[in-house]
Amino acid sequence: MSFASKMPSLRIDQSDLKCKNGCDYFGNPQWQGYCSKCHREQMMRQRRAEKASTNPSATLPKPEQKKPERGLKLSSHSSFSKFEEKRLRQSETLKKANLLKFSVFKKSSSDDHDHTPEKRPPEFKIPAMVFEGMKHDFRARFPALAPQVDRDARVFVHSFIMDVIKCANVMTVDELSERVQRQYQRFMKHMDTSPHFGNVDSDTKELLLDFVEKHAMTYLHELPSVVFSPSGTDDERLDRAMSERIQQLSWVGERHLECKLDRNSAACRQLLYKAISELLGMDSAMSPGGKLARVRRCCRHVLALCGAPASADDLLPALIFTVLKANPPRLVSNINFVTRFCNAQRLMTGEGGYYFTNLCCAVSFIENLTAESLNMDKKEFDCYMAMPASIGGSAWAAALSLCGCAREAEEQLAAAQALLREARDVQAQAQAVHDNAATFEEQIVKKVQDVLSKTPLEIKPRRELPQFGKFKSSAKPLIDLEPSVVPKETNPEPSDQALAQTGTSVQQPLIDYKDPPIDHKETEAEQPRIDSRVPIALPAPPLTTKDQKEQQILTVDTSSTEPEKLNILGFEVIDRPSPKSPQNLDQNWDLKQTSSLELLTPSLLGFTPFDSRSIDELMTPDEFVSDHLAPGLSNINYDIDLSDFSGDNSLAEDAPKAKDPFSPDGIKKFDPFAPQPSTFAETLEKFNEFSLVDAKTNRPYDPFEIVHRNTDPFSAGLAVTLPQQTTDPFSPQQKEGTSILDDNNSPTAACLLPSPLLPQSSGKPA
Amino acid sequence: MTSGPYNYSYIFKYIIIGDMGVGKSCLLHQFTDKKFMADCPHTIGVEFGTRIIEVAGQKIKLQIWDTAGQERFRAVTRSYYRGAAGALMVYDITRRSTYNHLSSWLTDTRNLTNPSTVIFLIGNKSDLDGQRDVTYEEAKQFADENGLMFVEASAKTGQNVEEAFLETAKKIYQSIQDGRLDLNAAESGVQHKPASPGRPLAAPPAARDNCTC
Repeated sequence: MSFASKMPSLRIDQSDLKCKNGCDYFGNPQWQGYCSKCHREQMMRQRRAEKASTNPSATLPKPEQKKPERGLKLSSHSSFSKFEEKRLRQSETLKKANLLKFSVFKKSSSDDHDHTPEKRPPEFKIPAMVFEGMKHDFRARFPALAPQVDRDARVFVHSFIMDVIKCANVMTVDELSERVQRQYQRFMKHMDTSPHFGNVDSDTKELLLDFVEKHAMTYLHELPSVVFSPSGTDDERLDRAMSERIQQLSWVGERHLECKLDRNSAACRQLLYKAISELLGMDSAMSPGGKLARVRRCCRHVLALCGAPASADDLLPALIFTVLKANPPRLVSNINFVTRFCNAQRLMTGEGGYYFTNLCCAVSFIENLTAESLNMDKKEFDCYMAMPASIGGSAWAAALSLCGCAREAEEQLAAAQALLREARDVQAQAQAVHDNAATFEEQIVKKVQDVLSKTPLEIKPRRELPQFGKFKSSAKPLIDLEPSVVPKETNPEPSDQALAQTGTSVQQPLIDYKDPPIDHKETEAEQPRIDSRVPIALPAPPLTTKDQKEQQILTVDTSSTEPEKLNILGFEVIDRPSPKSPQNLDQNWDLKQTSSLELLTPSLLGFTPFDSRSIDELMTPDEFVSDHLAPGLSNINYDIDLSDFSGDNSLAEDAPKAKDPFSPDGIKKFDPFAPQPSTFAETLEKFNEFSLVDAKTNRPYDPFEIVHRNTDPFSAGLAVTLPQQTTDPFSPQQKEGTSILDDNNSPTAACLLPSPLLPQSSGKPA
Repeated sequence: MTSGPYNYSYIFKYIIIGDMGVGKSCLLHQFTDKKFMADCPHTIGVEFGTRIIEVAGQKIKLQIWDTAGQERFRAVTRSYYRGAAGALMVYDITRRSTYNHLSSWLTDTRNLTNPSTVIFLIGNKSDLDGQRDVTYEEAKQFADENGLMFVEASAKTGQNVEEAFLETAKKIYQSIQDGRLDLNAAESGVQHKPASPGRPLAAPPAARDNCTC
């Protein structure tokens, strides 16, 4: 059996004996199936991985390479317990890993440059943010210095941080502190010798040292138990003890310390409060320099508290008092941190150092405070100390809390004001947006109106229709008709359509056209009509509303076209009284042009009236005819008439041909106009263009056909039928046209049209 | 070497000690306030408790720390002494008690500073000669016995104040030249500034020699 069992294995052996790695060498079970070479490589890889995973922040430079576990033990035995050590390290690595994630995103070339030369496990990497921040800070602080200096500073900070992290677990705090101090000196020496710093003066070098210290320590400060209340010290315990002690001593007042503080003075309270808040802020400052700055500001307030000729004799008691009232968090840790890792020169000299020394004295005094040091009876002191902490110092506590409340109120007030300002800003911006929207709307409306004014061409044929009605009935009957409710009823419908299509902008003009133009036209235009019975009046009404635009467009064209048009008109009038409507676009244009010109220019008016008269006369009979043909729907009649006339009258066809030079313009204008209304509905000009192109092709050919169709559908409903047959743009146009028709003088006619009786009646008298 | 008022080669740290109310702060103010009028226009003047003087052609910045003199703070004010190159020990000639305390102050100073620290005894309030409680001879003898420099001064009139500070600086500078003071030691109270941007490149080695000696 054993043999049998071995056999297969033996068989496989031939292939399996080879190294698992696939190299041609034979593997060995002792080497986990690898050949010796691959096995060695594999082991190396494993070790490295172990090192990276289990021993990230470690530690011993040399033993680490051989046995990471030993490194762990070595480093841990200096601190309280293995667990503690492990926990801390884990949290450390976690933190670093988190920071690493950021660094992945923010990886900068400089960062890479800094890291690549030193081959460290990935966990050792200092997040790029640190150096990015340094870069920004450097540029802000030392804009005049060469980039080389910046680079040197960053390189130093990098090596500095690495060094501290490496040594943190191996060294005692004092050793580490010494090492850090030597690092500072090293950098100082580097600045003295490096050519990069050749033209940097000594004061700037001091600042640079502070700068370096700040950034390195700010990063290290965040790492747990490395430099701030480091493992191996009982800083944390002392913090708690100090905090409790200060709480116990809360009864100590200015009287006991013999410092000249006036609790009743608001200024005094304010100063004390400021000093306390600065002192409390020390804990939140990250770098030793930052903490020193806080202490400095605090002590300045305290000095001011003591009065003008302040001396150390006054400063120290007042500072002690301030510390007692402030009870700053982690006081011992902070002081030790600064003492150990701040540049020693900074502590030895300078204002910050002086005040910090005073703070140290104050803390030391509080630690060792006895009845004797307060010049009081031992029994009394003991009584005070036995007293619950909450009772003591109620007066000052109250005063300070008052102060705090006042301060808070001030801050709240400031915040509220800031909010108010912001709110105002927001409001103003909202208003601006609103105005913007309004102007935008206006602009859109204007544009729409412009386009509308350019496009009225379509409208005109319809106007003619109403004109016919007017003319038929003469002004007076028209007026009579207008007041009738019917037209008004009909108007809103088209207007609604127009609204849906073009929006309010269209509506207003329509409305304007409807009522006032009608009146004016009726009164003004009709009168002239009546007087002279100028056909111009027909085009005039639309012109009045859209005169200017038409004028602009037409004036040029008309100047050239006027005579022709006039002639044409004359011909048309004679030959085709009704064709105006059938001709629709082209002829309408002509009519308009002529009319506008005539209206504008008195001389033209003089000429035209005769033609117009004839036209009017001609028109009316046609209308009658149309009415007769389709008694039910006046519109239908018109259309039919128009189509018929256009078909019948060679002149009508000729006329456009004769106008050909004009007609292209007219057509173009028509086309844009026609599509535009549709586009207005969508408020997009682009569509207009497209529609224009289509319209161009379609309209010249189709319109006539459409018109014919229209005649039929009119009875059923123009708007519905047309859109179906024609492209979308047409439908809006037609709708608008219908509305316009209604709006313009025609409304009466339109009104009349739906009610067949009226037009008939009007037609009959004419 | 540039001759700007802000360039200096050394920083000396002084402390002023003595009983409460002997006029330590007044002496300091008297000394430093002069700088406002005389030497430096603004920036240095703003700096806390400092004044730049000149000794043997070297500009020296004096950084003077006032200390609290109350008896009850004696135990905790040791950190003031750290790194002081000079100590001005002040008593009030009108109050004998302040003179009597000098020995304990001196003990503290000797214990808490390095041996090269220069101690200067100042009998303040010399303007109040009528109320004198301590004779000059008595104090002079005390100073000689303990190897101290001594002067009677008045912070009020400014008499001898300048001299006291300057003499101390000279003594310190002398000990630097003699090599008795180790500039590299953080506690020496002397900070050498190889300073001035325009200095020739040959200077740094010399400065370093100075440091290492």
